[in-house]
Amino acid sequence: MKLIYSHLQTFLPDLTVTPQKLRDDLTMIGHFCNFYEEIDGEIVFDLDIKVNRGDCLGYYGLAKDLSIYYDLKLSHFTDYELRFTDYQLPITITSPDVLRVMCLQLSQIKVGESPDWLSKFVRIHGVNSVNNVVDLTNYIMFLYGIPNHAFDTAKTGKNLIWENNHGKTSNFTTLDGTVFNLSAENLVISNPQEVVSTDFVGGKNSGTYDSTQEIIIEVAIYNPVRIRIDSREHKTVTEAGIRLEKNLDCNLIPQAIKHLAVLITDLTGAKISSDLFDYYLAPVIPPQIAFDPQLPSIISGINIPTEFALDIVAKVSHRPDLNIAEDLAEEVIRFYGYNNIPTTEPLHFKEVKNITPKIINLIEQIKDQMVSEGYDEVLTWPLVSTASDPKTAIKTENGINTEVVYLRQNMITSLKLQLEQYQKYKLPHPKFFEIGKIYYQENGNYVEKYALGKYDGQNFSETILDDLDKPDTYLPKAINNHAIELTSQIVTLDANVTSIESPEKIISHYQSLIPDNILWSIEITDHYQDKYTFRVCYFNCDDKTAKKIHLRTFGLDKINL
Amino acid sequence: MIDKQTYLDKVNSATNANELESVRIELLGRNGLINKLFSDIKNQPDPKTYGLELNSLKEEIEKLISSKKFSSEIRNLKLEIRNSQFSLPKLGHLHPLTITERQLNDVFRKLGFSIYNSPEIVTDEYNFQRLNVPSNHPARDMQDSIYIKQPEYLLRTQTSTIESYLLQKENHNLPIRAAFPGSVYRNEKVNRSNHFVFHQYQAVVVDKNITMKDLIGTMDLMFKTLYGQDVVVRYRCKYYPEVEPGVGPDMQCFNCHGKGCPLCKHAGWIEMGGSGMIHPKVLEMAGIDSKIYSGFAFGMGLDRWTMAQNNITDIRALMGGNLAYKPNKL
Repeated sequence: MKLIYSHLQTFLPDLTVTPQKLRDDLTMIGHFCNFYEEIDGEIVFDLDIKVNRGDCLGYYGLAKDLSIYYDLKLSHFTDYELRFTDYQLPITITSPDVLRVMCLQLSQIKVGESPDWLSKFVRIHGVNSVNNVVDLTNYIMFLYGIPNHAFDTAKTGKNLIWENNHGKTSNFTTLDGTVFNLSAENLVISNPQEVVSTDFVGGKNSGTYDSTQEIIIEVAIYNPVRIRIDSREHKTVTEAGIRLEKNLDCNLIPQAIKHLAVLITDLTGAKISSDLFDYYLAPVIPPQIAFDPQLPSIISGINIPTEFALDIVAKVSHRPDLNIAEDLAEEVIRFYGYNNIPTTEPLHFKEVKNITPKIINLIEQIKDQMVSEGYDEVLTWPLVSTASDPKTAIKTENGINTEVVYLRQNMITSLKLQLEQYQKYKLPHPKFFEIGKIYYQENGNYVEKYALGKYDGQNFSETILDDLDKPDTYLPKAINNHAIELTSQIVTLDANVTSIESPEKIISHYQSLIPDNILWSIEITDHYQDKYTFRVCYFNCDDKTAKKIHLRTFGLDKINL
Repeated sequence: MIDKQTYLDKVNSATNANELESVRIELLGRNGLINKLFSDIKNQPDPKTYGLELNSLKEEIEKLISSKKFSSEIRNLKLEIRNSQFSLPKLGHLHPLTITERQLNDVFRKLGFSIYNSPEIVTDEYNFQRLNVPSNHPARDMQDSIYIKQPEYLLRTQTSTIESYLLQKENHNLPIRAAFPGSVYRNEKVNRSNHFVFHQYQAVVVDKNITMKDLIGTMDLMFKTLYGQDVVVRYRCKYYPEVEPGVGPDMQCFNCHGKGCPLCKHAGWIEMGGSGMIHPKVLEMAGIDSKIYSGFAFGMGLDRWTMAQNNITDIRALMGGNLAYKPNKL
């Protein structure tokens, strides 16, 4: 989520920390901020808001967190004097998925372009500027994290109904022209004739236009599971859906709708023309949590003063995501600062029951043994393209790598593909092994077994380790060099040279002449008196380069001249 | 008189190891020429001188043969030189991921941890529900699963799944200290930086009086073992449904030392995994009394670190790709 520093100050007028400090502090208290940048003269933060903090998908929630962390005053927008009329909106709620809805009618509206600050705000948040009304509804969504909408009463009428579809409408066209095939459970907003909006995206006639003169604004929170199911069903992700599928605070709706109404009347000259509609059948009552102020100290392992703990709990206890004492303790520790917990006191050795399965020790032992016999270890894909035994094969249902859908039933199939890779790159003398799992079905059960597969340079072989004896020992590990990624084939060239030096000296000499980044290996393959035959493998270079360097290294270019 | 030169020329005429061996048998074998000459000693006018001369010839031939080195003996030269440096016969190589896993296993074994594993084909219950992620929880979006049989059976998406098995299976063996490397699966297209299978490492402790201080201290020990004493790691608040509180370790970018660069996406820090105190609900679901026992868990990805260690730029190289090992330097 984007966060504009100057708009954050709407709620925190006394906020003066540097952008860098704000970035680091937001991250430390749980709102990971990768970077900030300047866009259109504004300092904009890029935040990763976690799924448990739906409230922080709005400026208000973040400002609340920061007001606690920095001990700053939080500005509320609750002091507006709005004059409602006696007109009662003919709105009906029948769906149990509606937690709270507030609506208000505004007339004599003049829809037009947004002022610069508003169009810039929505643009920075990745939304196109449409008109002053639509932009303000988006502004309020970003400010409070609660989606809302303005319906043109000339298009939708005033008899709005929040209901589950129940087969009333099958085809529904969204604002951007996508067609949904609605199912019976989908939560929709309709009028007596048609569905005008779903719970997370508006319909084609639900917009606000230049001709619009009267609107009903609504701010609502629904059952998050319903939203999640509906948006997954229609494979559509919207800013509204992302927020509504989280736990949002119904008690924030009055402030959001009032703020929206004030902004619309200010910017468009509209007049309030109804009473405030409020449906809140089962007001959310925060759970009663028994909290021991010592708990944060017990959990963190450091002493956190009781007064601090109680102060924090009093400030956060309204949040819908806090349900148990440990949730509250986390809040206390987070605001106290994770960086106050020492990093220098690890656990010490303690003798507890060894529950290592014997097969794990066996695998370690075999790996060491294979390496000592000159085998290189490889890891291959556990998913393969064909089933060795279709009757017992296990197939994935939804894998997007459609060319590999079966769990392998043996190691050799995978190792053969590995050998093809090595042959492609002309790797000299491949000799390798893998210990991995093989999978099959037996009597309706899924079976996994560890298996050793190996290629000895000529033949493949395979052993199922789960069927072997399992010695419980652990051998010392072998010396290993770094692996590299083969990005070119290996070019092998020979050279005959004459020298009276010892083999050790002469091989070191030629090795030093070849750049390390292209030298794969160098060896003496033959030696008679003062005559040596060298075999050099080059990589990371083409044939021509290898040959050029080879001739130069062994002085063969001069001979040719 | 014995014509020495004739015999020595025979040795010198051998041009390879096979010929040399034939000459050796011809001259020094049981039925060789030298033995034949020895058997002729009694017919000689001066057996003593003849015998001395013959012994001298035999010695000369043996010396000449042993002085000649041919390819069959020299083919192992590379190995001999290597032996002189490494004092071991020619070795293969462990996979880089295995090496990283063993480095971590060593850290935890020293603290009394067992190494653990569990099945890769798992039920929704063990992969999600027992980790405090009920159906339709938004946290499920964090992981796109590969299903074997929807909605019940899937390939485990995280090593925390091993934790849910561990807690359930070993709930009578408290306290628990266990660490586990494991393959995990996500429904990702395979390309340069993503794979459907990757590797995580997780450590779990359940005991009386376990605190965040234990968690952070132990994690720091692990990072210092892996990355060196100078590594700078910060521990911040992070959300995971299976822990409460959650802790996110970030390592200061080794490339820019915290200033911000393309490698760390200008954050100055690199996310190193996730951890936290095991959620009381997770313990209770496993039949462990959260009023008596507490615990911590932390997990980290192995692939990126291993790739960085080995200058591997394509994740496909790690798994079934063009991963190769440079031979030991001579």
